[in-house]
Amino acid sequence: MNYETIIGIEIHCELKTKTKMFSSAPVTFGEMANTCVNEIDLGHPGTLPCVNKEAVKLAIKAATAMNCEIDPLVKFDRKNYYYSDLPKGYQITQQFHPLGRNGHITIETKDGVKKDIRINRIHMEEDTAKQFHSDAGSLIDFNRAGTPLIEIVSEPDIRNGAEAAAYVEKLRTLLYYLGVSDVKMEEGSMRCDVNVSIREEGSETFGTKTEVKNLNSISNVQKAIDAEVERQIGLVSNGERVIQATRRYDETQKTTVLMRKKEGDVDYKFFPDPNITPIRLDDAWIKDIQDSMEELPDERKARYMSDYGLKDYDAGVLVANRELGDFFDEVCKYTQNYKKSANWVIVELTAALNKDNIKFENNPCNPKYLADMINMVEKGEISGKQAKEVFEEIMKGKDPKKVVEEKGMKQMSDSSELLAVVTSVLDANPQSIEDFKNGKDRAVGFLMGQVMKASKGQANPKIANQLIQEELKKR
Amino acid sequence: MDFERVRKEDVNARIHSAVAKAKEKQEDLNAVVSFVDVEDQIEALKDIDEKQPFYGMPIVLKDNVNMKGVRTTASSRILDNYVSIYDAHITTKLKEAGAVVIAKASMDELGMGGTNENAYTGPVCNPWDTSRISGGSSGGSAVLVSSGVVPFAIGTDTGDSIRKPAAFNGIIGMKPTYGRISRYGVIPYASSLDHVGYFTTSMKDAAVALEVLAGRDDRDMTSSYKEVEKYSENLNSDLSGKKIAILDNVQNAITNEDVKENFNSLMGKLEARGATIEHVSLDDKLMHALLPVYYIIANAEATANHSNLDGIRFGQREDGESVEDVMINSRTKGLSSNVRKRFVIGSYSLFAANQDKIFRKAQKVRRLIVEELKRTLDQYDVVIANASATIAPKFNEKVQAGNDDIVTENYMVLGNFSGYPSMTVPTGFVEGMPIGINMTAKPFEEQTLFNIGLAIEEETGLKGNDVEVDA
Repeated sequence: MNYETIIGIEIHCELKTKTKMFSSAPVTFGEMANTCVNEIDLGHPGTLPCVNKEAVKLAIKAATAMNCEIDPLVKFDRKNYYYSDLPKGYQITQQFHPLGRNGHITIETKDGVKKDIRINRIHMEEDTAKQFHSDAGSLIDFNRAGTPLIEIVSEPDIRNGAEAAAYVEKLRTLLYYLGVSDVKMEEGSMRCDVNVSIREEGSETFGTKTEVKNLNSISNVQKAIDAEVERQIGLVSNGERVIQATRRYDETQKTTVLMRKKEGDVDYKFFPDPNITPIRLDDAWIKDIQDSMEELPDERKARYMSDYGLKDYDAGVLVANRELGDFFDEVCKYTQNYKKSANWVIVELTAALNKDNIKFENNPCNPKYLADMINMVEKGEISGKQAKEVFEEIMKGKDPKKVVEEKGMKQMSDSSELLAVVTSVLDANPQSIEDFKNGKDRAVGFLMGQVMKASKGQANPKIANQLIQEELKKR
Repeated sequence: MDFERVRKEDVNARIHSAVAKAKEKQEDLNAVVSFVDVEDQIEALKDIDEKQPFYGMPIVLKDNVNMKGVRTTASSRILDNYVSIYDAHITTKLKEAGAVVIAKASMDELGMGGTNENAYTGPVCNPWDTSRISGGSSGGSAVLVSSGVVPFAIGTDTGDSIRKPAAFNGIIGMKPTYGRISRYGVIPYASSLDHVGYFTTSMKDAAVALEVLAGRDDRDMTSSYKEVEKYSENLNSDLSGKKIAILDNVQNAITNEDVKENFNSLMGKLEARGATIEHVSLDDKLMHALLPVYYIIANAEATANHSNLDGIRFGQREDGESVEDVMINSRTKGLSSNVRKRFVIGSYSLFAANQDKIFRKAQKVRRLIVEELKRTLDQYDVVIANASATIAPKFNEKVQAGNDDIVTENYMVLGNFSGYPSMTVPTGFVEGMPIGINMTAKPFEEQTLFNIGLAIEEETGLKGNDVEVDA
């Protein structure tokens, strides 16, 4: 029996705003517990919510990037349930009128297969507090309470763990590029719940689904799905049933573990929040946000390939890491040697940073210096070999022009100057001339080495080689 | 009496005499939940201009209004130990205007009730006859004004919680347009119906007070940007050209001849002053739907609004085996059965399976009712009727108003459904107890209410109507 896997993903993403969704308390991470709260976040009696305009703006960006229809009438609803991490006893969310609907994004799996995944909805809501449970009792940190979130709900279009990972990665990159969120899964600013079910191939009905919650990395999304699919197939093949439940992924056991069974749907008694009057968004304001949006990864990749002539792979590497691409763009402001620049950024710069374990945000390399150095190589002022030495100094913050001057590295490109060196080398090596005439081409290589030695490595290899060939023929 | 101006050197004496009077009357009236320390507030007046309208004036806040550092219980056991951590918007406004809060006034628990018999500290007595109710839910506030303790008190009004007790106490009860006064920091009952308002004993004071309290507050999204008018400057009791509609659904259902006579005689006087007086009837079916629609919407909103009262972060906490048990025990013990009953009703109407036939239906009927009221007000300046068919009932006495008391005793929710400004004005006495009329105007036409109210005040001579407690 063959089975088809059906996966839908819900992603919660904290928005990168200065203040909370409905209060003026600061949004922070890692601050001392309960220091970034006010009476609204704590749900004190008499408080009222006030919608954060910046959060709406970021949500519009996200919805636009995911090709959603945007509802210009912003409304909020109350989702009622009692829990100690929910100060008001209800969460303010957008149940009835999500900001974005009917979107899609295109994903590409590692083996290069492209596929559209439909987005059912994107809506805004507020985060809950963080709880810490121990034997001594439970502690609650309300710093997170009220942090703006968007929830992105996919249609059940995903068919395997690899697609799921590609989907999450694609969303992560999009949101990161837009500056909408930090998207740090390990810190919880992006959280991923997957709904997994299986059905016999060709079947039109859905099987019973389970929800795997709290996946803290993209690789775990894939691993958890693979494990859960295997578990479900195992059950069904043995004639057992899949039970609707919430599960979590256990990294050490590499399997999903039951958290709680779901007995029917909880009735959250959603109703419109009477304290938030519906907000009619100005079409011009929405358009302004959309027109001034940051370049998206796919757009950037296309630009690198068409404007800079980069290969698909190199463009892909630069786009996969926004900072790397940003840096590359800076370098390209000062040089037209785009391909060489891409190579330096992708290979040498990355290697240098890795070697010293430096995070990209602390990158000491000045993009203009790197560009200057690349231009010097191109003009033949320094050799490629020398460039590597200069680059090491650039990584220490030094201006390549000064480095070249101080180290006396200027390449010898002047033909008459070089000719003198070549002539003296030939004079000193009659045997090599003889060898050359007897058809031994490698004599040129030997002579080249001698020229380099005599010029302390400053000879322009291209010109030197040319001169050696010419002079040999004359003798 | 109009707000008494007070000189700097007299503030101390004035405030302390008000406090003394409040304490002296507490045994008979039971209107106060907490007395507020006044010394720091008097000290803070140093930085306030003597010309401020409330300068050095003793006032009272209903106990659902937050005042930083002051106990705020909303007359509920679950908040018995709650001390506010912030000032409500109106608390700040009043402080800036020079007011000194001397007490937090009793109310029906969380605003839920119309008699003030549902307060954790017990019922509040009517100073005109202490065997009678004050009315509610802003009973404590009304009583502290009508007994002459303070010239001004804040109340809130979700159904008629300012306007009914105002009638039973012979004072002015003002509920402005929804959004005119910020609700930030006021413990809610039902957010779409809740209004902040107040009690005074003169129309001029009522006009001055709105100038102080009204205005946009960015912390309340339902607060209006509309400019605050100079109500007191524009006061004008000339009624020529004014069109007044008598609400027959109410007046025809009143059986007490003295109440009727008082009303009809007043209408004659207003007509003599140049007003056009006509009779209107709203759709009777809609009028009979007022109470059930009110109950459904108010309690649905209330059940969510008060889900924060769980004993976890503040308020009275009862121990339990689990966090869930702590919440259940805290709410069971902390909230009265009357309140819990309303939560059950509200919750029931919000269940997904019930919303269409109960909650959403009620919202639709609310809209129909508002449209019906609007059609009438398109042709008139105000609709007017008695605020109650009777004088304040005795404790445990059922109101005897006739077959339509469901209309006469509940019609003032029209002002909450619509959000239109609505005011109760005292008009005289029946059996030695005060009675009053209520009028409702178009949105943001508070000035119309003040002007017609001033004409009524001139006719009745009931300005400064207060009474020594008759125990």
